[in-house]
Amino acid sequence: MTLRKSIALISLLGLLLGAYLSLYKFGYIGTLSCSVGSCETVQTSRWSVLFGLPVATWGVGFYALMLGFAIVGLEPQHEDSTRLSLATLLLAGWGVAFTAWLNYLEGFVIHAWCEFCLGSAAFVVVLFVLAMVDYRRCRSVVAEGAAS
Amino acid sequence: MAQKRVEPGRGRKQGVVTSPKASSSNRAFYILIVVVAVVGIAALTYQSTRSKESAIASPIDSTLPPVNSAGYTIGNATAPVEVTEFGDFECPACGNFATLTEPDIRKRYVNTGKVFWRFVDFPLSGHRNTWQASRAAACADEQGKFWEFHDALYQTQDQWNGEATSNPDKYMKQLGKQLGLNTGQFDQCVDSKKMQAKIQAHYGLAVARKVGETPTFVIGDKQVPGALNYDQFAKLLDVALANAPPVAPAGGGDTAKKGVPLPATKKGP
Repeated sequence: MTLRKSIALISLLGLLLGAYLSLYKFGYIGTLSCSVGSCETVQTSRWSVLFGLPVATWGVGFYALMLGFAIVGLEPQHEDSTRLSLATLLLAGWGVAFTAWLNYLEGFVIHAWCEFCLGSAAFVVVLFVLAMVDYRRCRSVVAEGAAS
Repeated sequence: MAQKRVEPGRGRKQGVVTSPKASSSNRAFYILIVVVAVVGIAALTYQSTRSKESAIASPIDSTLPPVNSAGYTIGNATAPVEVTEFGDFECPACGNFATLTEPDIRKRYVNTGKVFWRFVDFPLSGHRNTWQASRAAACADEQGKFWEFHDALYQTQDQWNGEATSNPDKYMKQLGKQLGLNTGQFDQCVDSKKMQAKIQAHYGLAVARKVGETPTFVIGDKQVPGALNYDQFAKLLDVALANAPPVAPAGGGDTAKKGVPLPATKKGP
C-alpha cells in the first residue's frame, strides 16, 4: 500500500508541475519570452507543442491517469490486482520512453535544459521504479495464493 | 493489534483482508492528497492572479547606455512616445508578439503618429539561425525594406529557424527575391556577412542595457520584458502617452520609415 500511496503522491506533484507549465504556455502565468539556457527556450521551442496541445498538458493527462490508477489500487478489492499494477507499469514505462525522447530533444536539438522538465523526468523515473516493484509484489502475491 | 476483517472470495486467494488500522491509514492518506491538491491549486491560482496584477514594467536604470540612433525605426520621429524593442528573429515569443500584437500596435499607435518604434537586434545564442536572419534583415535595410523583411521573417519563422533548415541564407535570398529586392546586391550582402559588425553592435547594446530576454521593450521610462498581448501593451503605451512631455525624441535610427502595414498572408518563398 505504501508503494501505491507513493505513486499517488508523486503523480499528484507531477500533475501540479504539469499544470504550472501548461498555464505558463497558455499565458496565464508569466509572459512568454526567450532567454538563454533556461526553461523559456524549451517552452518556446516548436517541440513544446504536440498534436496542438502543449507537451506539459499531455503530462497533466499522464499524471492524472497515474494518480487515478494509484487511488483505485488503494481500494481493498484492487490491492493485489496484477492487471492494475501491470497497467500502471506500462503507463509509467511509456512515460519513461516519452521523457527520454523529450530529454534527447532538449540536449541535442533545442540545446537547452528546462529545470521543470528535468524535475518531471525524475518523477517519471521514480514512478516507473515504484510501479515495477508494485507489479512484482502483486505477481508474488498471486503466486503465493496459487501455491497455497 | 487491530482486528482484521476477511471478505471471502475476493482479493488474495482467500479474500480481501482489511483492518480498521489500514482503513484509517487510507483515510489519512486521502486527506493528505486533498490537502496537497488544494494547496497546489491555491498556489497556481495565486501565481496566475499575481502575474496579471503585478506591474510588469520596471523603471529603467538611468546609468544604462542610451539607445540613441541604433536599430531600425518606423513611424513619426516626433511622436510623443518612443518604444524600443530588443528582439530576436528566431525567438518564438518575439514571433508571437510580431504576428499577434504588433500589427494592432502599429495600426493604432505607430501609424497614427503616437508612437515612434525602434527595433534592435538581440540574437540569442540558443537560436542557430538568428544571426543569419539579423544580417539578412540589415541587408534588406540597405534597400529600404527592413520592415517588410522583418515582418516576413516573423511570419515564416518556422520555415527558416534552426529546426527547419541548416542553410538559412538560401531561405533569406529567396525571401529577398520575393520581396522585390535587388537580388544581386542583396545576395552579395548576405554572402559577405558585411552586416556582422552592425548586428554585433546591436547585440552589445542589448547586453550593456542588461536585457535578459526577448522580446524586451523600452516604453518611455520603463523596461518591459516578455511578449505582451495587445491590451497589456496598449495600457503601458497609454500611460506613457499620458506622462509624455511634448518634446520630439532624439535620433532617427539606422533607418526611419513611415508605418508599413503587415502583409495579410503568412507565406514563405
